[in-house]
Amino acid sequence: MADAESKRRLILLALLLLALLSLAVAVAVGSVAVSPTQLLAVLGGGGEPLHHDLILTLRGPRAMAAFATGGLLALAGALMQILLRNPLADPYVLGVSGGAAVAALLALLCGAGITLVSGSAFAGALLSTLLVFGLAHGVGGWTPTRLLLTGVVVAAGWGAMVTFMLALSPARQLPGMLYWLMGDLSYAGSPWPAWLVLVPALLLTLPLGGSLNVLARGPLQAAALGVAVRPLQWLLYGLASLLTAMAVTTAGSVGFVGLVVPHMLRLLLGNDQRLILPASVLAGGSLLTLADTVARTALAPEQLPVGVITALLGVPSFLYLLYRSR
Amino acid sequence: MATLTAQQLVMDVPGRPAGRPLDLTIEPGQRWGILGPNGAGKTTLLHTLAGLRSPRAGQVLLDGRALPALSHRRLARQRAVVFQERQDSFPATVMETALIGRHPYLSPWQWEGREDHRRALAALEALGLTPLRDRLVSTLSGGERQRVALATALTQAPSLWLVDEPTNHLDLHHQVAVMALLAEQADRGAAVVMCLHDLNLAARWCDHLLLLYPDGELCFGPAADMLVPSALEALYGQRLAVGQVDGAPVFVPTGGLPANKE
Amino acid sequence: MLLIRLLIALSVLLSASSLWAAQRCVTDDADQHVCVPRAASRIVALSPGATELLFAAGAGDQVVGAVTFSDYPPAAKNLPRVGSYQRLDLEAIAALKPDLVVAWRSGNPQVQTRKLQSLGLPVYYSEPRHIEDIATSLERLATLAGSEQTGQATAKSFRDGMAALGARYQTALPVRVFYQVWKDPLMTVNSQHLINEVISLCGGVNVFADLPRLAPRVSREAVLEANPEAIVAGGMGEENDHWLKDWKAFPAMAAVQRGNLFFVSPSTLQRPSPRLLIGARTLCTQLETARGRR
Repeated sequence: MADAESKRRLILLALLLLALLSLAVAVAVGSVAVSPTQLLAVLGGGGEPLHHDLILTLRGPRAMAAFATGGLLALAGALMQILLRNPLADPYVLGVSGGAAVAALLALLCGAGITLVSGSAFAGALLSTLLVFGLAHGVGGWTPTRLLLTGVVVAAGWGAMVTFMLALSPARQLPGMLYWLMGDLSYAGSPWPAWLVLVPALLLTLPLGGSLNVLARGPLQAAALGVAVRPLQWLLYGLASLLTAMAVTTAGSVGFVGLVVPHMLRLLLGNDQRLILPASVLAGGSLLTLADTVARTALAPEQLPVGVITALLGVPSFLYLLYRSR
Repeated sequence: MATLTAQQLVMDVPGRPAGRPLDLTIEPGQRWGILGPNGAGKTTLLHTLAGLRSPRAGQVLLDGRALPALSHRRLARQRAVVFQERQDSFPATVMETALIGRHPYLSPWQWEGREDHRRALAALEALGLTPLRDRLVSTLSGGERQRVALATALTQAPSLWLVDEPTNHLDLHHQVAVMALLAEQADRGAAVVMCLHDLNLAARWCDHLLLLYPDGELCFGPAADMLVPSALEALYGQRLAVGQVDGAPVFVPTGGLPANKE
Repeated sequence: MLLIRLLIALSVLLSASSLWAAQRCVTDDADQHVCVPRAASRIVALSPGATELLFAAGAGDQVVGAVTFSDYPPAAKNLPRVGSYQRLDLEAIAALKPDLVVAWRSGNPQVQTRKLQSLGLPVYYSEPRHIEDIATSLERLATLAGSEQTGQATAKSFRDGMAALGARYQTALPVRVFYQVWKDPLMTVNSQHLINEVISLCGGVNVFADLPRLAPRVSREAVLEANPEAIVAGGMGEENDHWLKDWKAFPAMAAVQRGNLFFVSPSTLQRPSPRLLIGARTLCTQLETARGRR
């Protein structure tokens, strides 16, 4: 079907342009004005030292971190929704963000440095997914419902531990700790680890799109149509956990991107994972990059946590799409 | 062409003793009906024959090769399963659902091509679904969804059909149409196995029957040999009256327990 | 000719040595060696406390940027803002082209201060934990800013003032004090806190000194049980003395019975700045009043 194929190409091309545009905007806009000529001078390898610092040291890495985080979350959300066969599943539904927050807070309370705190958050996120998986597996093997329920309960447990630690910690360390719960790119370190996870993950999931389409119709139907269901489910679980853990480690628990982006794309483009997965990465990355640009410029020099912006943008557009959908 | 063989097969029904091992061969062109009361394990047997469920003992072979030894994709190109229950968590149209049947034929990077669409459209046409092709499956009636599931299996182009209650939710007209479609598949050389709860459909459309008792006992053979009122009364625990319409036996439940239980 | 040559050589030597002497180095509260090539003339302060310390050290004119809530001295209110202490606008800081950044070690996000360092900016991490740290902070910041004269003078009068208080109340009878940092939740300080040091200086005894955490949450019951002789409240704003009224519901407490409910403006006691001397004087006087009501 040549028509459908050219339409798909057009959609992905449009999203790719949106992604490049969002990165360009993020680099061009900030609390300090940089004119287009100055911007081009810096990108050409020249320009004033100040503009060099602004664009290549501050804005560039932060924009890349935002894009990668958005892509990771949207892809993780899309995969998790298929795995749990629940269009409203969220990457954090299995307690990933809580696990990361608890481990990061513990490291902070022990006086660890940035690298150790990040590593600890990553380990905590993965530990939480293993815990949920083990508990949900139990004696009888897991089902989406059991997984979901276990995840929700474990997340509540993490929440209690976070509250406990916040109640016990010195007041002035609170803001630094809350970022793990809220999501804030001001604290993002190097963007490259996130990209190193995102790109291979996308390349790995792209050829799985067809199988995921079948899996979305239930494990029995998928098995009947030649999908190795259990291995695929484990892969999905591991991959979604890894992606979310990486996203949380980069920017804390940024809400809404993982839930809203894949869902919106499904409402707009239909539910073919071969299209939804790459589209999610591009749209999620663009959304978070633009949201972070707004977060750091809207009230500059006051800086907002990006989670506030994603929620403010995500909630109304999501509700509108849902209202209009069939 | 596909021949399905069960060797010393004991299906795994939790909490039930082993029962008698099954040695059975289903040849191309045969139409098998699995009969039995609720809870006898008809669906479990069907899933075991399909390779979706591991047996407790014995094995199932397709053209002489054990099912676990076959690749998932290769198996899926030969046998289709139509389930009694379906889950649609995500919205999908009738056409998209029928196209899913082409999955075993597509490489990981491939999208459905012209030929795949042609097959799906033909399947929709065969089941009278063409006017509904762009409707969301979630908006259809139970009978329409049943036909969509059959269309998906038809798109899959299998040489072995395993169908759980093909006439579920269908009105009389569509019951006949679906059974005729399955019979046509058998005439073209496919083997068809279906679980049925309607004795008269089995009597009318199947050439072989397998009677499955709640305790794991079973017996099977050509339909003519199996349609013995006393055996069927024992199977269902129900007294039956027998008549004849168009040369096929018709069973009607009557009052009272079967003779051998009185 | 020889004379001229000699003169030139001498002037070169002199200018070289003056250049050498211009390099200014101190050790900050994170035990880092912080150096500026010449007296810092464009300083950005990343906490209200750091701003106040810089102004007190005589470097107020060189401060070119501050975070929100930097409200003292009044001149600080008009400084360009560079975000809040917990979320810095790094671009705004970079655009000010500072030659020294004074950060708050435990308050600013480490990731962001590291980034400033990676831009090649000298960052001084400030975290005064003791009365004496405030004096040395003034001296160290003055060294970096080239305002040694003012800085050392302020440090000296601060030290002398504190020493005078210490001498005066060294032998005073102990007063059991509950210091209230916050109302909901009820929070106080332990022995590690700067405020505890001031209480001790005035001859007071912090009833919760032995708690393990720096700023522990305590219950009203624990306060009733400790039965302090005086309750001293700080708070967020300068007019929060209504916090004290709630304690009047417990007339059995010694502090309530004797009317020893005191308010100290939090900016004079809870901010590590030379104004601590004012807060300390207020507190000492209040505790002396409490002794008089025995």
